[in-house]
Amino acid sequence: MSGLPRPISSILTIAEMEARKLRHDSTELWMRCVQPTLWLLVFGEVFNAIRGLAPGGFSYMQYIAPGVLAQSVLFVAIFYGITIVWERDIGLLTKLLSTPSSRTSIVVGKALAAGVRGIFMGAMLFALAVIIGVNLRFDPLDVTGVFVVVVLFAMCFSCLSMTLASFLKTRDRMMGIGQVITMPLFFASNAIYPLSMMPGWLQSIAAYNPLSYVVDAIRSMLLTGDYSGLPLDILVLFGSTVLFVATASILLKRLIE
Amino acid sequence: MTAPQLQSARIDSTGETPLAIQVSGLTKVYPNGLAAVDNISFDVKEGEIFGLLGPNGAGKTTTIKMVTTLTPPTAGSAKVFGIDVASSPQRVRQMLGFVPQAVSVDGDLTGYENLLIFAKLFFVDRDQRNERIHEALDLFGLSDRADDLVKHYSGGMMRRLEIAQALVNRPRLLFLDEPSIGLDPYSRLQVIEHIRKLNQGFGTTILLTTHDMAEADELCDRLAIMNLGKIAVSGGPRELKRTVGGDVLTVAVSGGAPASLPPELGTVVSTEQGTMKILTVDGERAIPRVTEYLERTGVVVESVSLSRPTLDDVFMKYAKTSLQQEGTYRQTRSERRAIVRHGR
Repeated sequence: MSGLPRPISSILTIAEMEARKLRHDSTELWMRCVQPTLWLLVFGEVFNAIRGLAPGGFSYMQYIAPGVLAQSVLFVAIFYGITIVWERDIGLLTKLLSTPSSRTSIVVGKALAAGVRGIFMGAMLFALAVIIGVNLRFDPLDVTGVFVVVVLFAMCFSCLSMTLASFLKTRDRMMGIGQVITMPLFFASNAIYPLSMMPGWLQSIAAYNPLSYVVDAIRSMLLTGDYSGLPLDILVLFGSTVLFVATASILLKRLIE
Repeated sequence: MTAPQLQSARIDSTGETPLAIQVSGLTKVYPNGLAAVDNISFDVKEGEIFGLLGPNGAGKTTTIKMVTTLTPPTAGSAKVFGIDVASSPQRVRQMLGFVPQAVSVDGDLTGYENLLIFAKLFFVDRDQRNERIHEALDLFGLSDRADDLVKHYSGGMMRRLEIAQALVNRPRLLFLDEPSIGLDPYSRLQVIEHIRKLNQGFGTTILLTTHDMAEADELCDRLAIMNLGKIAVSGGPRELKRTVGGDVLTVAVSGGAPASLPPELGTVVSTEQGTMKILTVDGERAIPRVTEYLERTGVVVESVSLSRPTLDDVFMKYAKTSLQQEGTYRQTRSERRAIVRHGR
């Protein structure tokens, strides 16, 4: 890896650390698959009976599959800050920050590590969709695009989580704030119902919800094949990711002071 | 196996030995107004083992955090091999290794992986990486457990793995915060032996903190005793011990003890019931000479025992007294709160 620029090498090393840990023990991620499975199998199956709920003539199962995928990645990412607090508590964060690798590369590396987890969740969801026969566009380019969006999305929200961790500083509080944030984000988005069904005030909130853009991007690639909204989706997602990477890089040192 | 040749060594103002650490007027005041470190100055020479001693909450860890660029000083400066920690933190971090007080290895990775990841984060050359990792595992007796997850290691093995990292990264300066805390006596001895090995075999300059006076005495070339954020006294262990009084020989004799001795042997402090107490400078060397002198004058020596001042006495003299004067309830409470807050 000596050929790579140092920051890139550090970022990849931190992500590699996560991948190696998951190779040793991925129990947590398997358990995290239970919830999205229930959303698809129970919630999806029940609402599938209501015709016309999903726009564009798609079945409801097809419609919420991208939403459930996004939600499962959101959960993984939003609780990532807990890992950081844990690493602070055991002294690992201090050691990471005492290496010559820059703070930003460590934060981006951690974000990418959350992305690694996101990829795991994504792969599980795809497998699940195939098993229960949800008809999606499994075009290789689209699937690749979905994974790119998933990684960016996980990076975005894990950095938000690390930013929060630098203020809250304990695992208990991080658990609490995670619960507070995830449900509003999920329900005020187009994950499980179209924006057009929402009352006006909720629609305007959803317009500022990054999750809506993520779901829209994934849905356009996996379901509709209509890429007209994609540039805006990616732009919003990329912008939020840069913003949260910056705040997390600046604030992370608060955790060890 | 040679110590790394680094070109950036600077010569200090006297032009003699390069200074590994140069701290002047270093101060850290926490937002709650507690001055954890209060205007301290000290130097660490290249190649030495320097100890920062003191009770919990004395400011040792905060001092290390400032020198390792982990927290910015409120005032004062610290230089590592001539490079200022505030202006070039990344260059400073490239030269140092840090083993924090808390366990800093990742339990969910194997021993080998831990060394590998941190070697990469330290930008150790790819060609040398594996060789050094295996050498380090070997030297620290961890080879046969290299592929086990670290969470199944004992405390002593984890500590050894943390110190082994220094052998992979080859820092010029290694910081060890309470290296033997929480270890059983055998593991503690092993850790001490490895610290010495790093210092002597690889020329690594070492700064360690401890509140174990015997350990500091055993390991350190020079040390500073900290208390309440200040350096109470600093110097070599021998000279420090000398400041609290010399060695005392207790000699049991039969056949009438002399009231005095030739001055070069020592001073008789007391003689009662056939027991002489003699104050000398270098007790071990004085034993045969005193014995010989007494036998020559017809006194039968039955037993000799030597008691020397320890660093505990030094500590009591310079730190404990002021602790008792200033260690108020409020002070203790805020120190403990600080420790809780930092999760230690």
